[in-house]
Amino acid sequence: MDDIVVRPLSPAGDKQLHRFEFRGSGGEFFRIWIVNIALSLVTLGIYSAWAKVRTRRYFYGNTFVAGHGFDYHASPVRILIGRIIALALFGVYNLLLGISPFALIPAMVLLGAAIPWFIVSSRRFNARNTSYRNVRFNFSGTYGGAFKAYIAWPFAGALTLGGLMPLAHRAQDYYYINNHAFGGKRFATVFPGWSIYKVYLLALLLFLGLVVGTLAFLLLLSPFADSAGGFGAGVSFAGMIAILIIMPGWLIIVNYVRAAGLVLALENTALDNRHTLQSEIEPGSLVWIMTSNVFLILITFGLFYPWARVRAAHYMADHLSLLAASNLDEFTSETFATQGAIGEEIAGFFDYDIGL
Amino acid sequence: MSEAVAGRYFFPGTTRFVAARAVAEGDILRVEDESGTVLAHVALELVEISPRLGTLRRRFTFMDAGCFETEDSDAADCLLMGKRKGVSAHHLERSWQWAAVSVLFAAAAMFAFVVYGIPGIALWLAQETPPSFAATLSEQTLATLDKTVLKPSALPSPDRLRVEALFARAAGHGRRGAGHYKLLLRSAASLGPNALALPDGTIVMTDQLWPFVKADDEAIGVFAHEIAHVDHAHSLQAVYQAALVPAAIAVVTGDISQISQMAAILPGVLIQAAYSRGLEQQADDDAAMTVRQLGGNPAHMADLLERLDTKLCGKAGCPANWLGTHPQTAARAAHLRNAGTK
Repeated sequence: MDDIVVRPLSPAGDKQLHRFEFRGSGGEFFRIWIVNIALSLVTLGIYSAWAKVRTRRYFYGNTFVAGHGFDYHASPVRILIGRIIALALFGVYNLLLGISPFALIPAMVLLGAAIPWFIVSSRRFNARNTSYRNVRFNFSGTYGGAFKAYIAWPFAGALTLGGLMPLAHRAQDYYYINNHAFGGKRFATVFPGWSIYKVYLLALLLFLGLVVGTLAFLLLLSPFADSAGGFGAGVSFAGMIAILIIMPGWLIIVNYVRAAGLVLALENTALDNRHTLQSEIEPGSLVWIMTSNVFLILITFGLFYPWARVRAAHYMADHLSLLAASNLDEFTSETFATQGAIGEEIAGFFDYDIGL
Repeated sequence: MSEAVAGRYFFPGTTRFVAARAVAEGDILRVEDESGTVLAHVALELVEISPRLGTLRRRFTFMDAGCFETEDSDAADCLLMGKRKGVSAHHLERSWQWAAVSVLFAAAAMFAFVVYGIPGIALWLAQETPPSFAATLSEQTLATLDKTVLKPSALPSPDRLRVEALFARAAGHGRRGAGHYKLLLRSAASLGPNALALPDGTIVMTDQLWPFVKADDEAIGVFAHEIAHVDHAHSLQAVYQAALVPAAIAVVTGDISQISQMAAILPGVLIQAAYSRGLEQQADDDAAMTVRQLGGNPAHMADLLERLDTKLCGKAGCPANWLGTHPQTAARAAHLRNAGTK
């Protein structure tokens, strides 16, 4: 308990500020990661389910707040079954798209119907397999809720040419966080619509800058640019340059939206309306970490990956605190057996973790 | 009786905990608080113990949902001495030597899988795919192309007859036999000078290619190249390769995270482009063979390639391109001329 920091300036007199802390190290995780990859290859991918559980345990177990770490309890066998299902679906989907552009529409419809179900079962699986101080988390989102947040809202966003996309983003954050609970007490986040619109507006400006920059570059190269061919040359040189500019630019924009959205959601999150999260995460720093990580992974042929994960985890933990209204002793486990035996069996059967 | 292991005991199903110590007495695990009050007294075999992982604390979960955890992983192992057998992944994960072995093994395995595994599986799948499937695929692709980029051919009759005669000569050397290939002429301003093959044996040539053809061997070479694509089911292979590459990356990277997904995009694109160049190389080799069997010289194909290249990129030719679906023109031309001198 020696890592509790009591800040004299904390807003409520008896509240305590606990900093999150990540105790993992890149070198240690590197060995776990590479040995697990080798074992996954030797077993033709079967061990990858055990590898996933070990990786999760490593990151959850090394994340501490108020002197205690998180725990991950998933059974590798269930993850293996989930992976086989996910891989089969993934393969069929890619195959359909490769075979015919006409398969796109039925494939999208099927996927649209299945995605909410994947999201619900995977979130529930993960929440119920995560604990803190011997008490499990829970996720109580429904299929309907997931359909609204992940299909209906983005569809509305697309119909309005992106105009409603920021609200779709918020709907997904709300669905994710507000359906989580710890020891029967709910998490809740609320933030005004304009704050997420601000994030997307900046992203849009960055995107316009990227487009203008790329076009300018292409104009300079236009003497070389021409159409691609089947018997002749493939993707043209100008196209290659455009991809080399657009890819990192796009990466930065996507990471910015993710990071800024995450900060918004986290700093407005409360547990049981009493314990609140405080974030000092700078979206810019997070974008830098995520983007430079991708490049370091690429130039090291993937070997930097473990350090990249640890580096991101360190940054997140170091800039997040829990402002707790109590000593956190009051939580007791929810009993998940409220659905009745048959419902439980069906839920159990479908509760596989799908890697989304 | 073993040494006591220091840790914390969590009361069943709550976040409440006390400092505690665990002792093994034969097959029984006893957990008591600092004053000696017994908190748990359970047969060791009924305790669920988290496997060792890095320097992570160990968790002993009891059937009543109480749990004991300790930072002292070595002492926890001593408690279990002889009670739990089996090799733990931790023995490999703790050692830098095994990490080094794993790096080498993983690199070799991935290289072999990318170079031999995926193309081999894609080839096998392409060969096992029923012809009716290839026919449907071809009809749909052609319908799409006709709706979007292709227009009816405007080639004058004498030219058309000559093209068809040359096609028949190339088709006679196709593996399926002359009757199984069909030539379609189309105008396509956006595709430019081009020819393409559909898996059912339909070959489309654009009007825009014809003015670039200066010798019979050039046209025969183009047709033989496209016929080779048909014979080897290259378009089906490409479909399967495109589906296998992301699936393989997902399996190998293990925990599918945002970082690994983003970092996998570029290698995925590069690998697929390299596969495509391999298939084009094979089509060129087959085409050179056909041209030679017909008494011609594959070097003419090189002339046509260079003429098209000059049209596309000017006198200097198109620069090297990692993302290209075809090998670089200079290399293709040299290869074909080499085939011509043999």
